[in-house]
Amino acid sequence: MSSATPVWAENITKRFGKAHAVRGVSLSVPQGSIYGVLGPNGAGKTTTLRMLLGIIDPDSGTRSLLGYDVPRLASDRVGYLPEERGLYPNMKTVEAIAFMGALRGLGWAEGRTRGQALMESAGLGHATGKKIKHLSKGMAQLVQLLGSIVHKPELIVLDEPFSGLDPVNQEHLEHVIRGERDRGATILFSTHVMGHAERLCDRLSIIAGGLVRFEGTVDEARARLPMQAHYVPNMQSDAIGALLPEDATRVGDGWRFIVPEGGVERMLVALIKAKHGVAGLTMQRPSLHDAFVEIVGKANIGDVVAEQEQAL
Amino acid sequence: MSHFLRQCAVVARRDFLAVVATPTFLLFLLAPLIMIIIAITGGSGATQAAQSTVDAARIAVIAAPQDAFDIKAADDHLRAVNGSDFLPKLEIIPTHGKDETLAAALFGARKTDYLAVMFGDLKKPVIRHEESSVRSAGLLAEIAEQVVRSRAAGTPITQSMSHPVLQPIKAARAGVGGQRTTAYFAVFGIFFLTLLLAGQSVGMLAEEKSNKVIEILAAALPLEAVFLGKLIGMFGVALLFVTFWSVMIGAALFFTDAGGTIMAMLSPAVGMGPFLILCGLYFTMSYMLLGAVFLGVGGQAATIRDIQMLSLPITILQVAMYGIASKGVAQPESTLARFAEIFPFSSAYAMAGHAANDPALWPHALALIWQALWVAATIFFAARLFRIGVLKSGGGLRAAFGLKAKTD
Repeated sequence: MSSATPVWAENITKRFGKAHAVRGVSLSVPQGSIYGVLGPNGAGKTTTLRMLLGIIDPDSGTRSLLGYDVPRLASDRVGYLPEERGLYPNMKTVEAIAFMGALRGLGWAEGRTRGQALMESAGLGHATGKKIKHLSKGMAQLVQLLGSIVHKPELIVLDEPFSGLDPVNQEHLEHVIRGERDRGATILFSTHVMGHAERLCDRLSIIAGGLVRFEGTVDEARARLPMQAHYVPNMQSDAIGALLPEDATRVGDGWRFIVPEGGVERMLVALIKAKHGVAGLTMQRPSLHDAFVEIVGKANIGDVVAEQEQAL
Repeated sequence: MSHFLRQCAVVARRDFLAVVATPTFLLFLLAPLIMIIIAITGGSGATQAAQSTVDAARIAVIAAPQDAFDIKAADDHLRAVNGSDFLPKLEIIPTHGKDETLAAALFGARKTDYLAVMFGDLKKPVIRHEESSVRSAGLLAEIAEQVVRSRAAGTPITQSMSHPVLQPIKAARAGVGGQRTTAYFAVFGIFFLTLLLAGQSVGMLAEEKSNKVIEILAAALPLEAVFLGKLIGMFGVALLFVTFWSVMIGAALFFTDAGGTIMAMLSPAVGMGPFLILCGLYFTMSYMLLGAVFLGVGGQAATIRDIQMLSLPITILQVAMYGIASKGVAQPESTLARFAEIFPFSSAYAMAGHAANDPALWPHALALIWQALWVAATIFFAARLFRIGVLKSGGGLRAAFGLKAKTD
């Protein structure tokens, strides 16, 4: 394992009773990157993160966190926002942030000072004296996020950080994540909302059925699907279909089809010669959402079982 | 190690402040005051009821008018000499010839309770009394004896033939009896305080489980540090409680001078200073051990009802431990006493009693180390069970005992 790999796992598995939550996840998070763990509900994302952090132990496989095989030994250098948010309702906001810092080795006084500054920079300066129970859910979630970064950790693990936030706070959270990356921290977060991953991730893993189905950059994920074109002719005619690729389908006034390997130039020349003309032509790269649906859709449970048996 | 202790301190500080900085804590701290007020109010009522019973009680002599003066004088004299003031007042009733009928009528009187009635010749009097009023009957017999003896000797009723000089002294030491009393006080005191205060730890993880903070704690700290920190935090609350009431009770004893009387009853073999220190240490161990058990059990419980159901067997076990330890300190050389001193859940009580009965200090060093090991083992085991059962880390009982889990 390289020292530039803050998080590393090799074929970790976890079973709860008879249910396989994680069937063999391997991943490697480069230092200073924003790394996304994507997957549908029940894919094993949270279990994977909990194993990486040492909250629970894997049944098999190996893992390393900031160079330690025992993740807890690195806990003072890690920040963690769990999926199920948790704060003491009677604590005041700054005290809650300082408490979370103290859990990670930061002094109380320093934690309060930093907490105050973080609250103000997050636009929550008005709530510094309030108790957690008097905050909205979104505000409490932001306070918890600030608590997870108050000790300036080298690695920040965020489990579904955007859930429950309104669009403004989601935007703010993205800003915070980029800021932490710019500070030099490595960010590992899970989500099933593709928009955030598309905007933030340097690299990502897509997990489905407890297995990693894809690992790479956002562009690499999108590249798994061919580019699509949307063509609108000047003159409508049923004969147009014969000049387009076989998968072309009528969509309103135009046609949608996958761009052929050789490009669209030859096809356009043929359409113009046949007097159909080109009123519009848009080429669209597939989104991460499309890639995700395609990757996850293939991973039905039958495949999973077969792959697992093969692995054994 | 210092890292681990720092982690414990963070949790302990949070828990201590979370309890102490609430209005509920004031209620908790002053709860015994409510008990004392109720006890005083109830006690006062009981005293009044008892006094009215005493006021209504009488002993009576049915006598001729010429005997009445001597009988009254003898009664005053005997009460003064024997300290029989607590017995019912004497009433002298003039005889009308049918003494037996009158005596029977007196026992049926509505407004006065006659406990004993004497009639007939003073040389051979008849004394009727209620079965439970033997002492009252005895006083009447002595009155008759005193009158007859004085008349025979020709001396005044109130003249004593012997003139003793009473010299009350305070015992220099309480002796073996004092040691046993001290041992019993120590066992009961530690048991009572532990059961009263350690039981609170049973619900300490419920808050973290309900508001999901446990995930934050489990990710940042070893669960052993979370458990020990919580115990230390709650022990701080218990210490505050004990200190507050020790000062209050100490002050009350000092100002009422009852402290001297109580201290005279107590005679620990190791000396009062070391004894108090040892009692403090044993209370600490007892609290931490029972608290760890309660915490471990409470951590597994999913609902408040589960907590209540699970804590009852532990309480019953502790009462049994108290019984064994009490029996042991009454028979310090017995096998039962040795068992109580060694068995981890009764050791703290029994060794506090041991300190009262035996001057040797070295067994206490061994006992404290032994008990500390059990506290550590209990916390370790409770944390492992929590990891397996609540955090679902898996590994089964092998992991709970710190062994490597089987994998397939």
